[in-house]
Amino acid sequence: MAKVLMKGNEAIGEAAIRAGCKNYFAYPITPQSEVAEYLAKRMPEVDGVFLQGESEVAVGYMIFGAAACGERVMTTSSSPGVSLMSEAISYIAGARCPAVFVNIMRGGPGLGGILPSQADYFQATKGGGHGDYRLLVMAPEGVQEAVDMTMKAFDLAEKYRGPVMIMGDGLIGQMMEPVEFPEDFTPTPMNNDDWATSGMATRGTDKRNLVKSLFLDPKQLNDHNLLLKAGYDRMRQEEVRYEGYNTDAEYKLLIVSYGTMSRVCKTAIDTMKEEGLEIGMVRPQTLFPFPEQAIHDAAAKESCSHVVSIELSMGQMVEDVDRCVKGQRPVTWYGECGGDIPTPEEIIDHVKSLLKN
Amino acid sequence: MGKIELKGIVIIVGNYGSGKTETAVNLAFHRKAAGVDVRMADLDLVNPYFRTREARHILFEKGIQVVLPEEKYMNADLPILAPQVAGLIRNPAELTILDAGGDDTGTTVLAALADSFVGRDVNLIQVVNPLRPFTETVEGCMRIQEEIEASSKLKVTGLVSNANLIDETTPDIIYKGYELIQELSHQAGIRVEFITAHEKLLPGLDLSRFDTPVLPILRQLVPPWKKQGL
Repeated sequence: MAKVLMKGNEAIGEAAIRAGCKNYFAYPITPQSEVAEYLAKRMPEVDGVFLQGESEVAVGYMIFGAAACGERVMTTSSSPGVSLMSEAISYIAGARCPAVFVNIMRGGPGLGGILPSQADYFQATKGGGHGDYRLLVMAPEGVQEAVDMTMKAFDLAEKYRGPVMIMGDGLIGQMMEPVEFPEDFTPTPMNNDDWATSGMATRGTDKRNLVKSLFLDPKQLNDHNLLLKAGYDRMRQEEVRYEGYNTDAEYKLLIVSYGTMSRVCKTAIDTMKEEGLEIGMVRPQTLFPFPEQAIHDAAAKESCSHVVSIELSMGQMVEDVDRCVKGQRPVTWYGECGGDIPTPEEIIDHVKSLLKN
Repeated sequence: MGKIELKGIVIIVGNYGSGKTETAVNLAFHRKAAGVDVRMADLDLVNPYFRTREARHILFEKGIQVVLPEEKYMNADLPILAPQVAGLIRNPAELTILDAGGDDTGTTVLAALADSFVGRDVNLIQVVNPLRPFTETVEGCMRIQEEIEASSKLKVTGLVSNANLIDETTPDIIYKGYELIQELSHQAGIRVEFITAHEKLLPGLDLSRFDTPVLPILRQLVPPWKKQGL
């Protein structure tokens, strides 16, 4: 298929359809409402359903219900909406149902603002809802990657039988870029007969399936949590994704940055390279599992004297970066969290000031 | 190809993401450079980012007056229409450009301004980028045109082809966009005002293929890692 020009929000909607998702439930919120606008038009064309819930709380449980039936299902929201869905996300993780959540982040806390943010990093990677669960979290840097990750998210949700989240800052949703969808992609949903409540007649069996997150017996609950943990450990082995940028050079400083913030960093790195100053970057594409080893090793490079985590939050990912660097180099934070995105020039000034000290 | 000679009140409409604001801002620069007195208003009440207000500083620098919502509401997702807009329509400049929001939802605001338009010559210009969803075909463009006319209570009077894939635009994309807009013009009985092409592409284009003027574009609405005005 030839390239088309799409907003990130539209492209995420189209990617879900291409991945075989015919169930989309959502509640509008800036800056992600175009996903709902787009899928309201597109879902009927593919015999799919878009249903607007009365709130994000309701949407969370619509997702749970459809996922429990073994259907490919997605919702999209923005920060405050994802907070409202967090209870359902915990239930979905506990009940081991595959589902795709998209968070096109805006400023917070509370109502915050409608401009881009990455301040839901903790919420996505460390919890949000209650209990011992993890979300597999992917963070695209542009519209094409948002498409690729959304399509991949459905497979991963089924591979691990749990919720997967796409984290994009508001700009990912709002900006337009040329994008291409794979031509010969045929979604192959997994066989979920052994667990989904898809109807005994449909499955041609007399075995009942039960989807639940309630385990009153302590041993059963512990075993259940061990099973979940085994899945998260497997993610750490098999699903870590990241991009190294200018990491072959003898860089003086290492940046860790993700999403559209990393695009600004790339421009800054290119400019500094032209001036003869080498700066490297590791861009996590998965926020959980986190590219721990890659960051550890990149920080260890002899030429590198400092590591800086650049993010649209007041210093969240920097805690993970610090954990990975393990004291080899000083680790600091730089960023903004009001809606403005630092410019390449501001990043260059900051990097130079770090190297001067 | 002739010259762009749009005057009076020009309202830029089109489907969501067709490039209305980029077209509107570049049209303002182009006419201003030709010595025309230009004023603009940001009527986009539906889009949260990448609106005329994002280009306000460069518009001000070039001496183009822009009517915007109050600064404190600039980043609110509320449908705020600055009261000065009605005044701008009643006392228009030589060229007054109103940049509306996308789709029929974005042009509903025009119906609210209907009283101000009475007795005035209004150019309602539909911008088309065939590389955007839902406007790849003449039928798709006609559908959006009908929806916009129904919600704005105005008739589309002119067409603009803004065929582009941003940095990946080729001459072929512009030629195909031209063919589509000509076909749309033929079927809808509406004239083509101009087509757009990025300045960098102009030397590689066979301009003799066009019966319409070409508006050169420099991108003013860019993400923060790109330079404005290139």
